[in-house]
Amino acid sequence: MLPYAVAAWLFGIGLYGIATSRNFIHLVGCLGVCQSATYVLLLGLGYRWGSIAPIFYDHPPGTPAVDPVMQALVLTDIVVGATLTALLLVLTIQAYKRGGSLDPEKLRPMRAGSKSGRGQGSSRGKDEERTAP
Amino acid sequence: MTAFPAVLLPLPVAIPLVVCAAMLATAHLLPGRVPDILATLAALGVAILSAFIAAHAADGPLVYWFGGWEPRDGVHLGIGFSVDEASGWVAAFIGLLYALTFVFAWGFFGRTHGHFQILMLLFLAAMVGFCFTRDMFNLFVWFEVMSVAAFALTAYHLEESALSGAINFTVINSLAGFLMLGGIGLIYAQTGTLDFEGIAAAVARGGRDPVVAGAFCLVAAALMIKGAIVPFQFWLADAHAVAPSPVSVIFSGSMVSLGLFGLAKVSAVVFAGSDQVQHGLPVLLTALGSFTALLGGWMALLQRHLKRMLAFSTISHAGIMLTGIGALSADGTGGMLVYVVGHGLVKGALFMVAGILLATRASIDEIALRGLGLGIGPAGIAMAIAGLLLCGLPIGVLDQGTRGVQGALAQQGHGIALAAGAIGAALTGAAVLRAAGRIFLGLGPDSGDEAGAPSEDEREKANRPLWLMLAPCCALLVLDVGLPAHLIEHALPRAASAFMHRPAVDTVAEGPGWLPWMSVLAALAGAAYGLLRDRLPAFVVRSVGATQSAPTRALEALHSGLIGDYAAWLAVGVAIIVAMLALA
Repeated sequence: MLPYAVAAWLFGIGLYGIATSRNFIHLVGCLGVCQSATYVLLLGLGYRWGSIAPIFYDHPPGTPAVDPVMQALVLTDIVVGATLTALLLVLTIQAYKRGGSLDPEKLRPMRAGSKSGRGQGSSRGKDEERTAP
Repeated sequence: MTAFPAVLLPLPVAIPLVVCAAMLATAHLLPGRVPDILATLAALGVAILSAFIAAHAADGPLVYWFGGWEPRDGVHLGIGFSVDEASGWVAAFIGLLYALTFVFAWGFFGRTHGHFQILMLLFLAAMVGFCFTRDMFNLFVWFEVMSVAAFALTAYHLEESALSGAINFTVINSLAGFLMLGGIGLIYAQTGTLDFEGIAAAVARGGRDPVVAGAFCLVAAALMIKGAIVPFQFWLADAHAVAPSPVSVIFSGSMVSLGLFGLAKVSAVVFAGSDQVQHGLPVLLTALGSFTALLGGWMALLQRHLKRMLAFSTISHAGIMLTGIGALSADGTGGMLVYVVGHGLVKGALFMVAGILLATRASIDEIALRGLGLGIGPAGIAMAIAGLLLCGLPIGVLDQGTRGVQGALAQQGHGIALAAGAIGAALTGAAVLRAAGRIFLGLGPDSGDEAGAPSEDEREKANRPLWLMLAPCCALLVLDVGLPAHLIEHALPRAASAFMHRPAVDTVAEGPGWLPWMSVLAALAGAAYGLLRDRLPAFVVRSVGATQSAPTRALEALHSGLIGDYAAWLAVGVAIIVAMLALA
């Protein structure tokens, strides 16, 4: 039961961090916390009391071992996590270079108000062009 | 079936991966257009091979076990591909869409050493793998490969908007990946296998089990995030609006619907034995789907940025597909599968028209573009036809899908979902037709609520002749209209039952014939209202404006572009799914 609870707590706290974050690097860290929840869950599910790691080099076959499938899943998950973190940090650096800020509030994708006025102006200009001749 | 096609099964995944690896190694040596040619040929190869596999799978699903690790005594250790007819045809459609997109993007990304093509081929391999796999964890791996390629492609332009859109997309879809992995872990812990069939057998034996239901909630939430179902839809509008137009073609045409394809497969195959899941699903899926169809359509009508409008239209159609799955019958799922293909064809063509406008008229803003399309009439005709098809003009593949979905919903008595789907389609059609009228006919001087929608100036390179960009767009539309209806009618009942692992049904129910016409009429009326607003009596315009302006502003404020808000909505969505399954 404990691994479930820890995993749920980690995911929840990570999600809370993402929801309230005002800094993209902090946000990437929170995403890492969310991902740790999956590590804990998977390793907890595969764990058997009193058994060895699933490496039979110096143990006779048949020795009770923890579930190797779960460990393989966690390894893949770690690879995914590394890729995502790297990609997100690259995006963050590029966004900082262009926007000059790490605050999600200041780096919104596309907002009304800031640029729509210009669009209207240009459309009006074209109206005049068309009606003039 | 003989062993001959079975060894071909990994090839549609392997070919793009090999081409992409070879291209990555030699990209700096390849002259000029070679990456374009290689990528187009690879995608065509995938399409042809998948169609060949699909044709062979008509008699029964083809199975391939990697490394020969076949299941023994009910123990599944190996990882397999299992291709039924429907999955094969969906993969063939995806390959074709990529091939046409590569033609559309010919020379678009000039000095990039083929990086665009490499990422796209990786994306293609992941999608085909996602269609073919029969292993839960493998499904997750393809899901993640697909996501990572998509994240990088979204941010391709490295502009401020593109970057923040890509960050939102990445964070939300990574959370989807984690949810899915958690769900997979739970289901593995309960059933001891990752193979679809193995899990299905164990789930059917187990009876009512909270762990199985929990696992389904997590996996379904992840796939719905990919499929942009309300309240998980926020990332889509940000990502599709800022991605380069060829990438948006792929996103809307196949990636989003593939999430729902995955959901249909998982709920019909893997969790078929869980009564709790099967009882909870119809209400959950039709409710979320109806809501999504309406909200997406409404938001589409309020946009002035063409790609953002098409993105919301994709959300609306994803909702309609979800209601098709929610019917939980061979009719509904079959209709949904046809809908995936038809919608991909039409929406791909529409994004290509948006790309043509970006390239030749250097703008994507409906109001700024008013009347500027007069010189490129053929693109306008393509856009108008696509708009009519989108809202349900009763010809072509999309219409066949619509009729399948509507037939299943009518048969099961989901009247609200039926109406919501028709209204959603009409709203998106109205949005597209209004934009076409404004851009290509110069109508609609009075911009209403859409003037307040977010927009941004954007440019794409104008280095391609118009016919080269228009040809793939028209090819998509011709395919949608020209694909012989009787072929689909003939294959659909068999393919849908094989997809759902159910005994074959004879015929597929069809919805009321007048409903698509109602959608078309409503769309035309909506578009006409938007374009001819200034000629209507003032009291009509005022009363419509008074009733819709406030909710409109509230909806736009909801799509804040803030990643924190999206994460909060994600939590709400997961809670809704859990609550509805817990009550079932």
